[in-house]
Amino acid sequence: MSSDFETYEQDFGTITADITNKIGRIPKISGEEKTQLVLNVDKQLEEVRELLEQMDLEVREIPVQSRAMYNSRLKSYKQEMEKLEKDFKRSRIAYSDEVRNELLGDDASSSESQLIKLREERAHLLDNTEKIERSSRRLEAGYQIAVETEQVGQEILSNLHSDREKIQRARDRLRETDANLGKSSRILTGMLRRIIQNRVLVFILGAIILLTIILAIYFNVRGR
Amino acid sequence: MDNSGKEKEALALIAEAEKKLKSSQSFFGSLFGSSSKQEEACDLYVRAANMFKMAKNWCEAINCLNQAIEIYTDMGRFTIAAKHHITIAEIYETELVDIDKAIAHYEQAADYYKGEESTSSANKCLLKVATYAAQLEQYPKAIEIYEQVGTHAMDSTLLKYSAKDHFFKAALCHFCVDMLNAKLAVQKYEEMFPAFSDSRECKLLKKLLDAYEEQNMDAYTDAVKEYDTISRLDQWLTTMLLRIKKTIQEDESDLR
Repeated sequence: MSSDFETYEQDFGTITADITNKIGRIPKISGEEKTQLVLNVDKQLEEVRELLEQMDLEVREIPVQSRAMYNSRLKSYKQEMEKLEKDFKRSRIAYSDEVRNELLGDDASSSESQLIKLREERAHLLDNTEKIERSSRRLEAGYQIAVETEQVGQEILSNLHSDREKIQRARDRLRETDANLGKSSRILTGMLRRIIQNRVLVFILGAIILLTIILAIYFNVRGR
Repeated sequence: MDNSGKEKEALALIAEAEKKLKSSQSFFGSLFGSSSKQEEACDLYVRAANMFKMAKNWCEAINCLNQAIEIYTDMGRFTIAAKHHITIAEIYETELVDIDKAIAHYEQAADYYKGEESTSSANKCLLKVATYAAQLEQYPKAIEIYEQVGTHAMDSTLLKYSAKDHFFKAALCHFCVDMLNAKLAVQKYEEMFPAFSDSRECKLLKKLLDAYEEQNMDAYTDAVKEYDTISRLDQWLTTMLLRIKKTIQEDESDLR
């Protein structure tokens, strides 16, 4: 099955090569030869179309798995054939190069225009090179700035770190001070309480002593 | 005119501070609030030192600060003593240009900070010590400090971007001593800290090592120039790189 396909492919190759050759020649000749060639090319195009149809039938008989490859090949051949047809049509109406040259004036003017073109292209390329150099310089400057930014960032980060430690230390000290203040206020309240106790005791003792003195005087007076 | 006025003020303050100290040692002083006397004395000393600084009388200022530091360390307040050590070291660094004493004071300050668990401030002082030590060719000390700071920085999220800088400096110090050391050191740092190998500094180091092996001074200069175009080399780096370059030149002339 596939061997048939390959024979078709080979035939296709030879005929298309021939067609291309003839299409190339058509614009350069004229008259009887031209009509002959045109007819030949027509016939060959017909043959090619028939070949493609047979290849199509072949492909349909091949099992599904390997069909994809042959399908793609077939598509490319069809495209080639369409291109050949287009070229053929164009070649029939196209003028040959010699006639073109006669019409448009000869070698002298064309070389001048070539020089001008070359100079333009050169200026264009130099322009491009300059633009590239400018952009690469700007990129380098940008890179430098990025590196500097990184260094500045490093410094800032280390400053932040040391500040962080300082703040932490200050906070710890504040907490300690707070605890100490709490302790001292408790001690002060204790002291206040003791003062009040002492005062109460003093009053009580004073009262007892007074009482004792009064009792002593009373008994003395009673004893007489 | 103004300076002498300030000096007189400062001398008066010193006299007052000394009186306070003496009185705190006598009998009545210890009865009636002694510690506050010491603090006041410290404060007076510090003010006197400031006056001397403004009058540009550096020696006297350093004396006052030293006495203040003594009292602070007696009281056990090491943070503020460390701060004063740093001030003294800065004076030695800038005005009196006595690098050895400056190093000594920075080291002392770093010790005090370490004692107070503020590794960040301690690291700042240690870095200064290392910079000066390397300038004075005390390479082992500098290497140790840079490696220590670098390893510490690796772990901290805030500091890890400066770690590669520390390793670079440590490797340069290794380089000044001996090339093989430098190679081993670079490998060790790459293992410890993978991000180091991506940095431009590491690439520069490798190029320098290669140039040194081949004794190729041009390659060395080219690599240094290339690095310089992107980020300018500062004073310390230029000095160290120049020293390494001189060793290449010497080796070349030895071979001849």
